[in-house]
Amino acid sequence: MKLDRRQLLALTGLGAASGLLAACGDAKTSSGPGTTTQDQLAKLLPAYTPNELVKADIPSVQGANGFFSNPAFLKYPANPVTSSTGVPGKGGSYTTMTPLWGAIPSASGNAYYAAVNKAIGATLKLQPADGNNYDKVLPTLFAGDKLPDWVQIPGWNMGNLGFADAVNKFADLGPYLSGDAIKAYPNLAAIPTSAWQCCIWNGKLFGLPVYYSGATIAGTLFHRKDILAKEGINPDDIKTPDDLAALGQQLTSAAAGRWAFDDVFDTLGQIYKFPVDPNRWVIDESGKILHRYETPGILEALNWYQTQAKAGHVHPDALADKTQEAKQRFWSGKVAITGDGPGAWKGDDAKSGKAANPSYERQAFKLLSTDGKPQIWMNPSAGMYSFLNAKLSADEIKECLSIANYLAAPYGSKEYLTVNFGVEGIDYTMVDGNPVLTERGSKEVATTYQFLITPISPTTVIAGQTQVVKDYAAWEADMVKYAVKPAFYGMNVTEPAQYASINQPMVDLVKDIRFGRKPISAYQEGLKTWKAQGGDQLRAFYEDIRSKYGTGQ
Amino acid sequence: MTALHEAPPAQQKPDEAAPVRKNRFRRDRSLLLMVIPALVLLIVFNYVPMFGTATAFQRYSIYAGFWHSPWVGLETFRQLFSDSLFWSALGNTLLLSLVQLVFYFPIPIALALLLHSIMSSKVRTIVQSVVYLPHFFSWVLAVTIFQQMLGGAGALNQFLREHDLGTFDVMTNPDTFALLVTSQVIWKEAGWGIIVFLAALAAIDTQLYEAAAADGAGRWRRLWHITLPGIRGVIVLMLVLRLGNVLTVGFEQMLIQRGAVGRDAAEVLDTYAYFYGVVNANFSLGAAASLFKGVLSLLFLLAANKIAHLLGEDGLYRR
Repeated sequence: MKLDRRQLLALTGLGAASGLLAACGDAKTSSGPGTTTQDQLAKLLPAYTPNELVKADIPSVQGANGFFSNPAFLKYPANPVTSSTGVPGKGGSYTTMTPLWGAIPSASGNAYYAAVNKAIGATLKLQPADGNNYDKVLPTLFAGDKLPDWVQIPGWNMGNLGFADAVNKFADLGPYLSGDAIKAYPNLAAIPTSAWQCCIWNGKLFGLPVYYSGATIAGTLFHRKDILAKEGINPDDIKTPDDLAALGQQLTSAAAGRWAFDDVFDTLGQIYKFPVDPNRWVIDESGKILHRYETPGILEALNWYQTQAKAGHVHPDALADKTQEAKQRFWSGKVAITGDGPGAWKGDDAKSGKAANPSYERQAFKLLSTDGKPQIWMNPSAGMYSFLNAKLSADEIKECLSIANYLAAPYGSKEYLTVNFGVEGIDYTMVDGNPVLTERGSKEVATTYQFLITPISPTTVIAGQTQVVKDYAAWEADMVKYAVKPAFYGMNVTEPAQYASINQPMVDLVKDIRFGRKPISAYQEGLKTWKAQGGDQLRAFYEDIRSKYGTGQ
Repeated sequence: MTALHEAPPAQQKPDEAAPVRKNRFRRDRSLLLMVIPALVLLIVFNYVPMFGTATAFQRYSIYAGFWHSPWVGLETFRQLFSDSLFWSALGNTLLLSLVQLVFYFPIPIALALLLHSIMSSKVRTIVQSVVYLPHFFSWVLAVTIFQQMLGGAGALNQFLREHDLGTFDVMTNPDTFALLVTSQVIWKEAGWGIIVFLAALAAIDTQLYEAAAADGAGRWRRLWHITLPGIRGVIVLMLVLRLGNVLTVGFEQMLIQRGAVGRDAAEVLDTYAYFYGVVNANFSLGAAASLFKGVLSLLFLLAANKIAHLLGEDGLYRR
């Protein structure tokens, strides 16, 4: 199997041996393009054995192209069951590192950490690190050979690591998990195949999937339903970008401190059909591979946005690129329409918004389109992955996988409560049938263990906001009908490093144009430079990938 | 021992220098001991990392490390110098530095003179504390305050809107960006910058003022003939140091506002090294840009020092 691939790569010149690095003009992708053929995938992927413990209050809805909406629960099951047998650990001690967006909890006297470590029968020394600077920390860990035993790496941080090479530092989990081997870890076997597919590089299974969803999207357009209602606008009437543009005038009242839009540019990708991160490529009807910057859609979107910006319908702070405060602007009603990830639509958001304004109501628009035929490109079903250090012994790897099996216990189990909420009475209490963190719990319980591996995470009630769950489930059930796979979906392609530098000038140019600092006409000049400096070569690289590995669609 | 100590240096013979040095060492040893921690810090954090400069001559890979990354000579510099974005970053850096030199540099001096002339020590302490304060704010906070006050939806513009007056957004205007960042630097750092000048002012003999006043010299005469000559050495020293830092115009300040005014106005050498070196993990290019900056800064520093010496001042060290 290995020999086949090596021969194949040798023929294409993609996977040169490390001695030929200089000849490639690139020292980082000595391990080839990272991706894997369909045949190999079939041999590597773990067998899928669902273990649905409890029936969801709002069941999952099957959408297009194999995507499906999240099941939703309005109450935690009354009698949680135990999903794994016994204590998984054997008393080992492992260092872990996970990104964290939020305050890093203190490790000393942390009842939550103590409870989970006791339950897993091993000591995980958690070292959460600031998620916003995670991509700056990782290269130094690799360079200094100081990787922890168990490390999580988000997909969007892999670009500057030359990930096809980085995985050589991690343990090959194939022998433990491929095919039926995974049945030793039933909770891991219950993670759907599409998530495992994202964990494969260079023809080997390296990762454990985190943050799984049946239809993961980058983001969508949200509106303040209460503000729209006051202006007599029915959100279901908004179907095209022209409809949306008309709201610009109607909802903006600068003297009163309210603007129609925040920085919604990325959500225009779904409407005008240009892919946004982490997706970058599309294949047009004639079969041509196009980069995001080459699509006609991005020009239309730039035009739309610049028109709104110049007309004064976009909040001035958004035009000053102050993205961090976007949520506050939305909560306080300074903007009526914003773009955000689907994770923004949760109970805690409703709680924060209602604190600013009791009538606060976040809703998402149904998918817009220019032609009445909406579609939405899906993200890889797992966006983050954890890895075990290659220095661990086979026994240690097995212990870690057993721990992972515990951490991946499904919703409705006793273990799920321990992993996500800690100790009842100390870190959480049950309120109206749902676990709610206590004041101590909200300081101690951070997303740490869950970022090592995550099972299917249903939509659940947070902060007592039941209606939010119902609304989100209904919207998602509608959204998955339009789900499509983008080009090179879930293929883990590692681009040669020399093309990294051509992206930044385009990122800057797009910002210049949409904020109205440069005319639309400046775009073509920038695109020409992009193509000349490596964009055309990068496309050729992907044409090669297509001919050898397929498009993942 | 005492005899050796008291011997004037001019009369030393070469063979006597060693005992003199030994003696001086014994005399100053507690001072030297106190210097050691600072010296260690300097070596560990300033000199040891200089070996990293080697990556500018390599095609550095985090997997191969310093020892195994291939050497490429000056290729990275060729790549750097052929990048128009690099030259535009250098141009911006020099422009911003020049504007700051002209508009920022005199402010702390003027402020120090003003404060020095205040007689009431209570008023002086209050003013001093108020103007020091912004120095301790982070740039994120400083820029946020500017945005809240002067931004398109800030206090000033909302006031203008409410009264049907025209609005202006200086926070997103690339054309006036140099003035914006300079006024931010003045607001944040001018108060802190007065300390060294106040110290110099305090060192001027008050008898000079009394004598001049007795001779009938007015306020401006005293300023011109006593105060300014008294702090001239410090002013020149600060100017020399500033010129040595001419290529450093505030990484954080630029990074935070780069999105608001765009690359063309806000890309400086440090942000260039960040985006094209660190963010893209092209560490060799980042190292090359930084080395270029370091060498150029040293040249600026030496040139400024030379000019100071020609003007008869001490500059960084006495000749």
